[in-house]
Amino acid sequence: VLNRRCVEAAVMTGLALNCSINKKSLFDRKHYFYADLPAGYQITQQRVPIAVNGSLSYSLCIDKKMSQMVTKTVRIKQIQLEQDSGKSLHDDTRSQTLVDLNRAGVGLMEVVMEPDMCCGEEAAAAVRELQLILQTLGSSQAVMAEGQLRVDANVSVHHAGEPYGVRTEVKNINSIRFLAKAVDYEIQRQIEELENGGTILNETRAFDSKLGCTVPMRDKEGEQDYRFMPEPNLPPLILYDAKSLPANMNHQQVINIDWIHERLPDLPSVKREKLVEQYGILPEHSFTLLNEDGLAEFFESVVNQTQMKPKKVIGWILNDLLSYLNQHSLTVKESPVSSFLLADLLNLLEKKEISSTAAKRVLAELWKGEGKTPLEIVKEQKLELLQDQKELEQICQAVIDGQENE
Amino acid sequence: AMLRASLRQVSAALKEGRVTPTELCQRCLALIKSTKFLNAYITVTEETALKQAEESDERYKRGQPLGILDGIPVAVKDNFNTAGIETTCASNMLKGYISPYNATVVQKLLDRGAVLLGKTNLDEFAMGSGSTDGVFGPVRNPWSYSRQYKDKSVPKSHAEDEESNWVIAGGSSGGSAAAVSSFTCFAALGSDTGGSTRNPAAHCGVVGLKPTYGLISRHGLIPLVNSMDVPGILTRCVDDAAVLLGSLAGHDPKDSTTIQDEFKPFELPNLTDVSKFSIGIPKEYHAPGLSSEILALWSKAADIFKNAGAKVVEVSLPHTHYSIVCYHVLCTAEVASNMARFDGLEYGHRSDRRESTESMYAATRREGFNDVVRGRILSGNYFLLKQNYEKYFVKAQKVRRLIANDFVKVFRSGVDILLTPTTLSDAAPYTEFILEDNRTRSAQDDILTQAANMAGLPAINVPTALSERGLPVGLQFIGRSFQEKQLLTVAKWFEKQVQFPMIQLEEVKRHDNAVFQHQKSASFS
Repeated sequence: VLNRRCVEAAVMTGLALNCSINKKSLFDRKHYFYADLPAGYQITQQRVPIAVNGSLSYSLCIDKKMSQMVTKTVRIKQIQLEQDSGKSLHDDTRSQTLVDLNRAGVGLMEVVMEPDMCCGEEAAAAVRELQLILQTLGSSQAVMAEGQLRVDANVSVHHAGEPYGVRTEVKNINSIRFLAKAVDYEIQRQIEELENGGTILNETRAFDSKLGCTVPMRDKEGEQDYRFMPEPNLPPLILYDAKSLPANMNHQQVINIDWIHERLPDLPSVKREKLVEQYGILPEHSFTLLNEDGLAEFFESVVNQTQMKPKKVIGWILNDLLSYLNQHSLTVKESPVSSFLLADLLNLLEKKEISSTAAKRVLAELWKGEGKTPLEIVKEQKLELLQDQKELEQICQAVIDGQENE
Repeated sequence: AMLRASLRQVSAALKEGRVTPTELCQRCLALIKSTKFLNAYITVTEETALKQAEESDERYKRGQPLGILDGIPVAVKDNFNTAGIETTCASNMLKGYISPYNATVVQKLLDRGAVLLGKTNLDEFAMGSGSTDGVFGPVRNPWSYSRQYKDKSVPKSHAEDEESNWVIAGGSSGGSAAAVSSFTCFAALGSDTGGSTRNPAAHCGVVGLKPTYGLISRHGLIPLVNSMDVPGILTRCVDDAAVLLGSLAGHDPKDSTTIQDEFKPFELPNLTDVSKFSIGIPKEYHAPGLSSEILALWSKAADIFKNAGAKVVEVSLPHTHYSIVCYHVLCTAEVASNMARFDGLEYGHRSDRRESTESMYAATRREGFNDVVRGRILSGNYFLLKQNYEKYFVKAQKVRRLIANDFVKVFRSGVDILLTPTTLSDAAPYTEFILEDNRTRSAQDDILTQAANMAGLPAINVPTALSERGLPVGLQFIGRSFQEKQLLTVAKWFEKQVQFPMIQLEEVKRHDNAVFQHQKSASFS
């Protein structure tokens, strides 16, 4: 039985990736025998998938300093719905395989990209953007470490002007960082192989994260004929839009593409533009804000609680807050300094009650998370800026006098 | 006398207190025991049946029966999942397999208070037309032991000759048909993929209904051909079939191939005037091998309608003779796919081979499946190979469309119901039947019934008369999609006209002591 939520997620993702949604898509059985495939076949969409011909735009930094960003696009070939298999855990010491069938049959959405990316960095950036989009849509939590987002990279090399070379498929990539590494390693390996007069086999390779290289995977019995056959238990999937929706259809039983389109949340690219427009920050800034889970919300919360200009607040967020969190491997949610506290501190600075040097000292104290307010810390450490003209004159005079004595 | 009543009659008796569900259940169980030699049941669920009967007793006492099915003993073909009860499909692959859930149709029966007596015998995985190829041995047609058959047989000098003279029950739902025919239950579920409910119904002299595809849920019916399978209904009269249909039909969210439309159970009118109906006689159903007896009976039936004022016309379904090969391709392809799940890993039989997963799979499947099943899997996989897919599978689907269109055209031209024979002849003696292999037999016997599966149409076997050998012969009515009410109304009228005789079963005591090699020993769980 088809899971409605899966279809909705696929439609949302298809729309977010600028795809054409196929109003009629079909399901097929892909047959092969494997211990983690209890039915002996996987239900997938081989003939007509649910969405085709889309595009994904992503940003890359030209240099390390994040001062210049360039936008690239990768075409989306298709999105298809299919079933997950179970999970096989190979126990070589006991020559046995343990099969966990808990996830067998769960719905998957496969996003197939065209080979428009040229290196690990681009692949990583594209997948990162896809991840953000999926999370924004709610289609998936897309955490790679948890297997919620699985990435297989297809890599080939060719001389400029010549057709694409033979590709290998690289699996077992468990993070975005490893994706970049795996792709770059494989590119290098293929180039070396070809320059040494060898050939590239159309094979499947696994990425070994410890060694940082790819190794050939266990041979899956050569050429496989999957004996595709239409899935007889799932009728063709029919989706409607406002125009084609029949008048007396039960709303519970249909999916209206236009209805979903109207309710799409702002995609990351739109959110970034809005942040730039609304707060006058730089595109690189808004990129980082969205790249860190919860950071944009934190920033906006601080802005709302302080008189300091957003353009100045962003510095504190990106330089002070973020670097601290990164140093201690904390997420925004785990920050010992809340937006309220930071806003409080920035207000003191804005009202010129403390210097910015002093503010940094207060912040350092706040990280300890002892529950003191910025004001309390200022008083404790006597960091207040003197406002009294006369007092200042006295101090200056004392310093000058002191100098004269030397 | 109670056991020979119709479902409606006995239901009325229960309501009036003339008999209790427990009494009824006990009598049926006793009869099952004394007719064990028929081998109609694989599993008899004595304990749970009596418990269900007891609960039904209580409801009747309180004056709150669940409906017409409350307390009625029924049997279910052993390819339907029944929670906590062994479901074998008459195969080594599933021997000892206890289902964790009830098929939707089983659940519906239980929800309405029906008493499940047991699981009936079949051809292995429902592949066959004789109920002779299951691992628990063949089903014997109760009519083999009827006075009618014995009177017509050549007098025998030895008791053994009588033994070897028994006739097949038909298939693949032979156990269910035999169970209903021998009065051990009032209704039984079968399945129908190419005629598996109608064929044994014809041979056993009972009503066999194949509903429109999509009307009754297949959830829990172990699939043979997903695009053609339907649960079948076997009863002693057409009215009873309508009762069962009313309880079972309707959308099931667990089966995406059931239609969404709400189903309204109906009572069959007592038709007296058939002049408004147009009965079609498809000439292609005068198939090679059709016995002259049945041909004559078919003709006589047409006359009955004519004489009663109905319009009887000869029609043509020109693609009929392609249906066998077309069916073969599509059936084996789906079978190959559906049987892929039996690998011995999660449930069912697992071979002892340990060298590799592949060898374990191969041995398990060789050990678990009989030749018929393995043959169909091999054929099916062949047709699904990339290089063959277009030539065979896709072509067959196109021919299937043509066959279905034949029916559409005929129904559009004003014909309401088609009248055809159900089988080519009456039931063959077992010794004769097994001379040909399963594939040959199926190809021969399915010819009159499988087109209805290809087109998804409703069809019903109505027992019509006895053959010269004293065995039942039935005729088939095929109706328009989802027009079961019309189909059953006409069938009921016809049933009344022909007055098919009740089987006269001999005293069966002398069979009790005999030992039969394949028969599963009494399993009263």
